[in-house]
Amino acid sequence: MKGALGFGGITLGFMAAALGVLTMGVGIHRRDGRIMATGRQFVFMVLLGAVVAAGAMEWALVTHDFSLAYVVRNHARSTPLLYTVAALWGALEGSILLWALVLAGYLTVTVRRLRARASEPLVAWATLVGLVVAAFFFALMLGPANPFKATSGLIPADGLGPNPLLQNHVLMAIHPPMLYLGYVGMTIPFSFAVAALITGRVGEGWLLETRRATLVAWAFLSVGIVLGAWWSYEVLGWGGYWAWDPVENASFIPWLTATAFLHSVVVQERRGMLRVWNLSLIIATFCLTILGTFLTRSGVLNSVHAFSQSDIGAWLLTFLGLAAATGIGLIAWRGDRLRTPGRIDSPVSREGAFLANNLLFAGFAFVVLLGTVFPLLVEALRNEKLSVGEPYFERMTVPLGLALLFLMAVAPALPWRAASGEVLRRRLGVPAWIGALTMAACAVLGARGVAEIAAFGLGAFAVAGIVRQYALGVAATRRAAGVGWPGALRRTVAGNRRLYGGLVVHTGVVVIAVALAASMGYTTKREFHLTPGQRVTLQSHHFTYLGTTRHQTGQKDTVQARVRVERGGKELGVYAPALSIFPNAPGGSAIGTPSVRTGILRDVYLTLVASPDQDGRITLGVQLSPLVVWLWVGGGIIVFGTGIAVWPARRARRRSSTGPDPLDPPAPPVPSADEMLQEAPA
Amino acid sequence: MDVIDPPPVPVTVVRSRPKRMRYLVAGGLCAAAVLFLVVGGLSRNIVYFRTVSEAVRAHDHAPADTGRLRMAGAVVTGSVVRAADGVSFKVTEGGVTASVFHHGDPPELFKDGAPVVCEGRWQGDSFDSDRIMIKHGAEYRPPSVDPNPAR
Repeated sequence: MKGALGFGGITLGFMAAALGVLTMGVGIHRRDGRIMATGRQFVFMVLLGAVVAAGAMEWALVTHDFSLAYVVRNHARSTPLLYTVAALWGALEGSILLWALVLAGYLTVTVRRLRARASEPLVAWATLVGLVVAAFFFALMLGPANPFKATSGLIPADGLGPNPLLQNHVLMAIHPPMLYLGYVGMTIPFSFAVAALITGRVGEGWLLETRRATLVAWAFLSVGIVLGAWWSYEVLGWGGYWAWDPVENASFIPWLTATAFLHSVVVQERRGMLRVWNLSLIIATFCLTILGTFLTRSGVLNSVHAFSQSDIGAWLLTFLGLAAATGIGLIAWRGDRLRTPGRIDSPVSREGAFLANNLLFAGFAFVVLLGTVFPLLVEALRNEKLSVGEPYFERMTVPLGLALLFLMAVAPALPWRAASGEVLRRRLGVPAWIGALTMAACAVLGARGVAEIAAFGLGAFAVAGIVRQYALGVAATRRAAGVGWPGALRRTVAGNRRLYGGLVVHTGVVVIAVALAASMGYTTKREFHLTPGQRVTLQSHHFTYLGTTRHQTGQKDTVQARVRVERGGKELGVYAPALSIFPNAPGGSAIGTPSVRTGILRDVYLTLVASPDQDGRITLGVQLSPLVVWLWVGGGIIVFGTGIAVWPARRARRRSSTGPDPLDPPAPPVPSADEMLQEAPA
Repeated sequence: MDVIDPPPVPVTVVRSRPKRMRYLVAGGLCAAAVLFLVVGGLSRNIVYFRTVSEAVRAHDHAPADTGRLRMAGAVVTGSVVRAADGVSFKVTEGGVTASVFHHGDPPELFKDGAPVVCEGRWQGDSFDSDRIMIKHGAEYRPPSVDPNPAR
């Protein structure tokens, strides 16, 4: 029954999307606003279909309806409620369903926001393109990825339960939806980019329409990536958070191109340049999200993450090829309209820095993409299996990351068009000195590693520049408006949300960069064999093995080792790294659960490598990693900064949605930060 | 392609041809250098994945090649000997057996008959491993429920 309901929802979604595409097409062809308005309504039907289907699946999961094959494979009666709900995105079919649901949501919001302008060619075409993408994902579920396939044969009394790795941390319930909100959100700017190319309105209009959607999707993608790293750190128990695993890369590559896009659109808005580049970037980002789905969901990779296998791969590859061909073909077709009058006058200017930023991001994306797909290409061409080692990624990406950090410190201070030496000295002098002194201090204090010291120095350089920009802006507002510091801060930020929100995001990125450098460069790792009562020491931390306890639930059989951790005579508590055997996973699957003491300066990361042998001896893995917690804090700062940037300005919120873009409010009574910087005293 | 309408705000002097050429050449050289570095880095960090029989055949063919590789096979029953700094054992696949020395503790489910993937390099005729993964395929589920087509 739930199966029929769910499949009905999918059918409704597909029919609505297909009819919507047809109706919009007819409406656009006849230039008939009423037909287009009807076509627009189909978006709501698509959403209804997706909600019904997802609801039916959740209902089936929660009520243990094992007549559905998906429920049998991803749920067991003993599965806790949270992971039961999360099972919707635990495997291929369900995650395609989630994808369709999120896409329907994004389309609905976009269509509603632009309802007054539904018959404008750009909006109409964008709606059509969005519906085409939706139709594809619903078609996937009608065909190779039907989540509502009935169980073949007898209906079992119990299911297999979700993959053990997916059922022992809360983050597993949050990380995939975040990632999908980011991935799928890129469909909106893609739709508008394609619409802009089709209609020939390749100016800045499509950028303004999608600016906020892109930022929101980008923020979700960022959070998804950070949460994925956190989950890996807390669950997988190897002590790290990023392994350059193809599945991690699949989420990271579109993030890189999307980040490049967020920067280069500013150049187009300001100077009308880089049109082809921006269109290419957003089309590439969309294609990379499809590629990521292909990599992670088709079973093409032999990786710990790639849980599913099916013939969906061919469908996704075909769609990827179509999307890429459409994009490239349209850009080639519109080539004549895309030429722009502007030029970059000097490499030492804001637009020059943006261009360099974009080249670095594109290079970064290329390096990661190559390392990710190279094994697949070799396997396809030479039938040899291989993987690309982590050293490749580290050696290639660290210099790129440092160069980006440098640009992040310098670029926000550069004026448009050209910078004089005088301006550079005034704006960058103090921050550069702070950066240089930080590097010197690190070196004197005995910090090892050129890359690490460079990261700390460049981070200090960037943060000093950000603080300077904030301080000057707030001080000027205070003088001009005669208000106190808090009021001045509020007004300054409200006056140019994108700039000040962006600077907060940059701060988050610096925090992450510093945490990455510290935790990758200065982690200590040891394994100890311990009998109960035995005590060992690592870097003035003492570890006493107290004993083990066993828990047995229907879900898993767990051995926990209790370990007392002390530092300098102070007890930090008793930690319990564990090993769990999942009986539902045939052949036995052992999953270690690390126990982490999170600290502001360092994490103590304990793993149970081997449970007690016949002599009662365990193997305990101990790892001391500095500043890891700041990775997650940095992720939070990025979200906060993006929130500042996308928050609608007060005046614009009262106005109708047809008003000017709220991200770009009319000039505030005080000079904008950019202008102030031009005039700021030394 | 140079014949375009003059810019609406002709503040800047349009760059002369030789200067443009120079930028193009510089850009091309940069791109070539980057490509060279990337391809070099890639080829130096490839880890081959081979079964025991493939790995032994390749090693016999070119014993001097001691690049990192992953070797998949099953632990030979009764071959596991624990040492102070690791464990030595034999792995077998396709009728071929190889000796492995693993530095450090093997993972929890390491035992006689377990399907393992060892990562490391050849050291003479013994395989020097520093990482063991217990292999349950890409899919942890039994083949009867979710058929895992052989590659």
